[in-house]
Amino acid sequence: MLDVANLLIYGAAVSAISFFAILLLMPAAIRSLAAKGRVVPDAHKRDKPMIPRPAGPVIMAGIAAGEIVLYLLTLNTAVLAVLLSTAIAFAVGYVDDSRVMPGWFKPVALLAAAVPLVALDLYAGGVHGDSLNLVFGSAFIPLLYIPLIFVIIPIAGNTINSIDVLNGVASGFIIIATIPLLTSILIFGSHEVFLAALPLLFAAVAFYKYHKFPSRIFPGDSGTLLLGVMYGALAIAGSSEIIGVIALLPAVMNSFLFLASVKRIVEHRQVKARPTILMDDFKLAASTDKAAPATLLRLIVAEEPLGEKEVGYKIFKLAAFTALLAFASIAIQYFIMRL
Amino acid sequence: MGLGGLAIFMAGMWAMILAVAAFLVIFVAPIDVIMFDRQAGQLAVSAVQAAIAIIAVIALVFGLSKMKRIYMQRKLGQ
Repeated sequence: MLDVANLLIYGAAVSAISFFAILLLMPAAIRSLAAKGRVVPDAHKRDKPMIPRPAGPVIMAGIAAGEIVLYLLTLNTAVLAVLLSTAIAFAVGYVDDSRVMPGWFKPVALLAAAVPLVALDLYAGGVHGDSLNLVFGSAFIPLLYIPLIFVIIPIAGNTINSIDVLNGVASGFIIIATIPLLTSILIFGSHEVFLAALPLLFAAVAFYKYHKFPSRIFPGDSGTLLLGVMYGALAIAGSSEIIGVIALLPAVMNSFLFLASVKRIVEHRQVKARPTILMDDFKLAASTDKAAPATLLRLIVAEEPLGEKEVGYKIFKLAAFTALLAFASIAIQYFIMRL
Repeated sequence: MGLGGLAIFMAGMWAMILAVAAFLVIFVAPIDVIMFDRQAGQLAVSAVQAAIAIIAVIALVFGLSKMKRIYMQRKLGQ
C-alpha cells in the first residue's frame, strides 16, 4: 500500500502523462492518417465526410507512457500485467484495422490478451487473487478463476468494440463506466491498480475531445479493443469484477441483444438487415425489418427518429444510470464488509 | 416508455446479477462444508462449484432472454 502523498503524486503524474500525450499527439495523427488516405466515411452525416482511422496507436502510446512510468515507480506486477494485456488487445485490433478479418478473429485472438494476467500471476504473484468479488462476499475459486479470466477479457474487449457505433460513444461511455470502477478498486482493490486505472480514464477524456460529435478521428478496432480489455484487466486485478460488469451494463445489453438476435458471432458488417435506417433528414430510425438484429441503438430510436448527437447523449444518460447502480453495489458491499 | 423503459430493463438486469451473486456467495462458495463436510478434494469441490455456477449463469441468461423478448414485443412489436 502507498501512503497518501505518494498516491496523489504518482496519480497526478500518470494521469497527466497519458492525458497530455494523447491530447498533443492526436492532431498530428489526424493529419498523418488523412495524408496517407487512411480514412473511412462517417455514414451518419450529410455528404459522408471521410474521417481518419485508427486512433488506437496514439491511445496506446499515451496509456503505455503512463503505465511504464507507474511500473518504474512501483515495480508492481499487476501494473505490468495490465499494460501487456492492453498492448496485446491493441495489436489484435490493429490487425483487424489493417485487413478484413472473419467474425471469430477478435474473440479468439483476444484470448491472448488474458495470458499476461495469468502468466505473471503464476510467475510473480500479486496480479489477481484466488477469489471472485461477488458484492455480498467473495467466492474462493482458485481453480476456476483462471478460466474465468479467459472469458472476461475477450467479452470486455468486444463489448466496448460493439458499442462504437456513433461519434464519441465508445470514449464517452468508457469515461462514465471507469469512474465507479476506479472507486471500487480504491476501496476493494489495491492502490497500485487504482493508479494503473487512471491512465484509462484520462486517456479516454483526452481522446473524447477528438472523438465527440462531430468526430475528427475514429478509434478503430485497435482503440476500442484496447480500452475494453484494459477495463476488464483492471476489474480483474482490482477485485472489482461484478462492479465492472454493472457499470458496463448498457454495452453488455447491446452485445447480448445482438448475439441473441443473430445467434452466432459475426461482424456487424456481415449482418445484411441493418438495425437502424438513416432518414432523409439524417435522423436515425428503428428498422421495421423483422430480420434486423436488436441493438441498444435500435431500441433508443424505436419511439421516434433521433439525430446522432441526441442518441449519443441518451446512451450517456443510460451509462450514468448504470454507474449509479454500480455505486449502489459498492455501497452494499462496503456496508456488508463493515458488519 | 423512452429511456425509462430501458432504465427499468437495466435495473432488472442489475437485480438479476446481484441475485446470482448472492446465490453464489451463500450456497456455492461454502459448498465443501454444506455438501462434503470438508472431506472432498479441492478439484472435486471446484468441479461441483463450476457446474452450479454455470447452471446459475445459464439461468441468468435464460431470464435475460425472457426479459428481452417481453421488452422487444412492447418496443418493436417483434
